[in-house]
Amino acid sequence: MKRYLFAIAVAMLLAAPLSAHHSTAMYDMANPATISGTVKRFEWTNPHAFIYLDVKDDKGTSVEWEIELMSLNHLRSYGWVRTTVKPGDQITCTGGRAKSGAPSMIAALLKLPDGRELKS
Amino acid sequence: MLARVFAFAALSATAVSAQQPAPPAQQPAGESPYRIAGRLPVRIMDFKVEPATIDPGQSVTLSWWTENPTSIAIDPIGRVAPRGQQKLTPSVTTTYTLSVTGASNSSDKRSVTVVVKGTTARATPASVSVAKAIPRTADGHPDFSGVYGYGAAGRGGPPPAPGSLPTTPVLKPGAEKYKVARAADDTGQYSSCMPPGIPQSFFVPYYIQIVQAPKQIVIAHEYLNLHRIIPTDGRAHPPDPDPSWMGNAVGKWEGDTLVIDSIGYNDKTEINGYRHTESLHVVERISRPNVDTLQYEATVEDPNVFASPWVIRRTFPLLPEYDSINEFVCENNRDYRPLFGGK
Repeated sequence: MKRYLFAIAVAMLLAAPLSAHHSTAMYDMANPATISGTVKRFEWTNPHAFIYLDVKDDKGTSVEWEIELMSLNHLRSYGWVRTTVKPGDQITCTGGRAKSGAPSMIAALLKLPDGRELKS
Repeated sequence: MLARVFAFAALSATAVSAQQPAPPAQQPAGESPYRIAGRLPVRIMDFKVEPATIDPGQSVTLSWWTENPTSIAIDPIGRVAPRGQQKLTPSVTTTYTLSVTGASNSSDKRSVTVVVKGTTARATPASVSVAKAIPRTADGHPDFSGVYGYGAAGRGGPPPAPGSLPTTPVLKPGAEKYKVARAADDTGQYSSCMPPGIPQSFFVPYYIQIVQAPKQIVIAHEYLNLHRIIPTDGRAHPPDPDPSWMGNAVGKWEGDTLVIDSIGYNDKTEINGYRHTESLHVVERISRPNVDTLQYEATVEDPNVFASPWVIRRTFPLLPEYDSINEFVCENNRDYRPLFGGK
């Protein structure tokens, strides 16, 4: 189950200011993973924004990945707006994937279609 | 209601686990992705002024867009948000310079010039650091109005005087049950998006805004859109206020320090890992030792829980680049959904 220990979030903030508002204990942050796919939809919402990504597995089958991002105030501070990511965009996300094995990740950075990298 | 949330969550989890996730590319172990992201360089995506040439008295719109910044300023305007635009009416030909800094010693700079017909460019004044006076309201009190950023733990301002109250809580004998002990699958204090209460609403990484009026002061917290309207007209607490998440607060001035006394809390919040009872009493002292800083101190008292009152201190930086905090509605809270291997 998703944990939400604020003490850890505070520790993260001290390490990297304005990084997260909740724990990443449910994600494997020690082994960063990168995944690429096509944006199906982008939820510009609090307490977290989400991207749903159509990812092809090694058999060519589509799998929908859920990519969790920070809260909107953090994203805005990195230069995001609600149209930074759009359906159909080919993007690459780097972050920690769910320890449960579910197709889910919290992304710390994204590579957008034009190649620029943005904190997330 | 909670049972319904969990039932919905279980269905979601079933649907998700039926899929075979594609194997993501693994990167070298040991480095947090946030540390990787923390090295991304800053860049200016756009900086422009329209129109670039005007007659005296006409206005222009300056707009800018930066990514991955840690600081952004436009000379001669001052600090600005990462993206924005501003309407300006320069009286003479003026050059505006956007300067950004970011991680890994990255920086970028770009200039635009507005030509005001019939005028010559104003010489750029030498950069002189002048200590600004603390603004004051008509009644002479310091004016705290403004948007303030997150104050990390440990940024406590001056060291407390000898003999002052402890900065860590000590439980009174027999009150051990109030210390929060979480099971590994407990979603924690913030998972439900319920109000953190006072003083904990100051300790989340979101901005706060103070709006000061002659007889009341409003403290608004971006996190969960919470606010308090605190009277400063000398009134006392109402008798036996209903227990509430944010308490009943009254304020008064002691010199240049605003002292907020609050009672009437419910027992549903935590303070630094301790629950409390409805007898919680918080005294907050807020001052503005300089223009850029809000000094915050909360004395926490609950005779049912703590052996003595104790104090939490924080320093919040003024964010002059913002006029207001944002809306924050917890509409997409997925923390009850056991997507991550739970039941």
